[in-house]
Amino acid sequence: MFWRMVRGTIFRQFSKMLMIAVTIALGASLATAMLNVMFDVGDKVNQELKTYGANITVLPKTSSLISDLYETEDGSDGAQDTGQYLKESELGKIKTIFWAYNIVDYAPYFNTNVTLAGKEVPLTGTWFSYTLDLPTGESVTSGINNMKTWWDVEGEWLTDAEEDTAMVGSTLAESAGIKVGDTISVEVAAGNRDFTVKAVFVSGDESDDAIYVPLAAAQALAGKEDAVSSIDVSALTTPDNDLARRAAKDPSSLSVKDMETWYCTAYVSSIAYQIEEVITDSVAKSVRQVSESEGAILDKTQLLMLLITILSLIGSALGISNLVTASVMERSKEIGLIKALGGKNGAISWLVLTEILLTALVGGVGGYFAGIGFAQIIGHTVFGSAISVKPMVIPMVAVMVFAVTMIGSIPSIRLLLRLRPAEVLHGR
Amino acid sequence: MTKQKMYLRMITSSLLRRKSRMLIALLAVAIGATILFGLATIYVDIPQQMGQEFRSYGANIIFLPSSEEEELEDETMEKIRAMVPEKQVVGMAPYIYENIRINELPFMAAGTDIESVKTTSPYWYVSGEWPGDETQVLAGKELADTVGAKEGEEISIKIEGADGSMTEHKFRVSGILQTGGNEEDYVFLSREALSQIMGREAGIDVIECSFSLPQDELKALSDRVSAELEGVTPRLVKRVTESEGTVLTKLQALVLLVTIVVLGLTMVCVATTMMAVVVERRKEIGLKKALGASNSGITRDFLGEGFFLGLLGGGLGIGLGYLFARAVSMSVFSRPVFFHPVLIPITLGVAVGVTVLACLLPVRRATDVDPAVVLKGE
Repeated sequence: MFWRMVRGTIFRQFSKMLMIAVTIALGASLATAMLNVMFDVGDKVNQELKTYGANITVLPKTSSLISDLYETEDGSDGAQDTGQYLKESELGKIKTIFWAYNIVDYAPYFNTNVTLAGKEVPLTGTWFSYTLDLPTGESVTSGINNMKTWWDVEGEWLTDAEEDTAMVGSTLAESAGIKVGDTISVEVAAGNRDFTVKAVFVSGDESDDAIYVPLAAAQALAGKEDAVSSIDVSALTTPDNDLARRAAKDPSSLSVKDMETWYCTAYVSSIAYQIEEVITDSVAKSVRQVSESEGAILDKTQLLMLLITILSLIGSALGISNLVTASVMERSKEIGLIKALGGKNGAISWLVLTEILLTALVGGVGGYFAGIGFAQIIGHTVFGSAISVKPMVIPMVAVMVFAVTMIGSIPSIRLLLRLRPAEVLHGR
Repeated sequence: MTKQKMYLRMITSSLLRRKSRMLIALLAVAIGATILFGLATIYVDIPQQMGQEFRSYGANIIFLPSSEEEELEDETMEKIRAMVPEKQVVGMAPYIYENIRINELPFMAAGTDIESVKTTSPYWYVSGEWPGDETQVLAGKELADTVGAKEGEEISIKIEGADGSMTEHKFRVSGILQTGGNEEDYVFLSREALSQIMGREAGIDVIECSFSLPQDELKALSDRVSAELEGVTPRLVKRVTESEGTVLTKLQALVLLVTIVVLGLTMVCVATTMMAVVVERRKEIGLKKALGASNSGITRDFLGEGFFLGLLGGGLGIGLGYLFARAVSMSVFSRPVFFHPVLIPITLGVAVGVTVLACLLPVRRATDVDPAVVLKGE
């Protein structure tokens, strides 16, 4: 009998129940979409902030520092020879650290000076879009093509295989009268070498005065195989907190537990520390201009999204419970009639609650999937990539819909039960 | 009793006597209006607020002398400052660079206005203190490591004086600077201190500016400076300006899209609630019709009610929405939000429009049916 009445309500008052279901679905879809977007916005914005370029630079330990460290020993411990340069052959190791997955891009630089038409100019060798085979069997492609997003390049980016090509900074190109397609001849102590200029770029910083060539070509010019002067690393990081700040000062001051937490969190300082561990005689420093600002902007964006999400959650919660209250109030006559026929309060409450909750279930499930759709629309329109669907959103939305429906219906049911059937049926 | 009075009376009594239902309807409209006004305020304010945050990346335009022999003057700095609205100037810092020797090793000293540097380079990390007076310097970390200088210790700086001879000066290192960039190889001191040891008033080598302006306005400024001020070459810091453009556009698009989705869904929510409230009154409509009211008369009654509800709910929503936007802005950006009066008519218009529309749909359906059928309850 109970289920027959429930079925009766749902099918005979179909349009009314449908409206409730639709409203709940709207609220649930709003909650689902906002929660999913909120949980993913950090990662997405972090990815966008990579346009600012590297947030970690790796340098060789300066020779003076090393001689300082080893001043009690005699100078012939071999550290001096390797002190000036990092090894190119070790670069693949950066992709094997604990947070390897967070390293978006990296590029080595080899700086030297050459003579161009009688004037000394800086020349930098680097990777443009270099594919490196890792010891793990995977291969990764990285280089400055993706890291110097703000460069205005007239012509084409170089490829690493064509060693006789070069890119020239705009200031230098202007003063030396170099155009795309020209051949320039640079002199070093060992002799001359010709490069075809494939591009002129504007960077807005000191690279505008420099020549960029593939790494191998620059090393050959200086006669230093396997040598790298610095490495730029662009990594996805977690904004710093107190622990990270303490660790950055001196990792050895942390307790074992703190050390573990720090090491296993993607702070810029822990990633830098791990890079130092794999690259011999290196100092990895966080570029504060990028990493600090990144942290500030990430925090702000996440907080902003969190507050907007809370507003829309409150909005949809109030909206749903409001409608549920309205729809229960509407059934005063029906409830009065059941009471007049001898229905018990408990039984009536059960009946109404079951009906509403069944409707809410249908609406909630529908809303969840619609919400995922909305989240994907936002993801694709704004960031050009899908928002990852977090399973933890399901229980959150389920609890919200359930709680809100109960809160919306229980007070109104109690109110109606307190009324006397005669009065209700009389129409007061 | 005039017709108008009766009309008003019907509307007000309907609103007052059906308190609980009307409260529900009013609440629905107010929620919608709150979300609308709050989000719209945030959306309008975001570009400026976020733009301010992006200034933590530091200088976005620098000014150099046109040729290497020349120097800039303080007057030029004031002229540039005058070209930018006061509110958009985050900071301007002049720099003078000079070759020095510490422990016979060559280094670069930068003379600057320490207070301005804090605004143009907010990402600098100083362990210890910023230089407080002319006897103190800030040493870059690399430099400090190389010469073995520590916080609080004295270092001696050798510099070529005005007459060409090397003179030695003692300074106290007030703090060590960490940036992860080239600055770590420099020693920073106040302009006055540097001029003093150089033995002459030095002109400015570069002015670093942090203006909270979008890229195209910065370009316009740069064009204006090169046209109006002789001997000054402006340079945009492309890394900062370009990237800011890309990221800020994305963030704005995000807030816009979120606003649209939230608003769309909320408005439909408001409309369904209103419809539920009105559908309940089919009997009343039937009764009125049976008493001889015309369809248009009934529609007008509901229109009036909807209008009142929309206005009241919209007004409430504007107040609450502003409070919300303010709370968001204070907690995210620690700045109060600007009140945009233009959003008031928009919010009221949307609130009234949605309410009226949501009322009219069910009323139309009820008036189309024979009163006898409605009253019988089918």
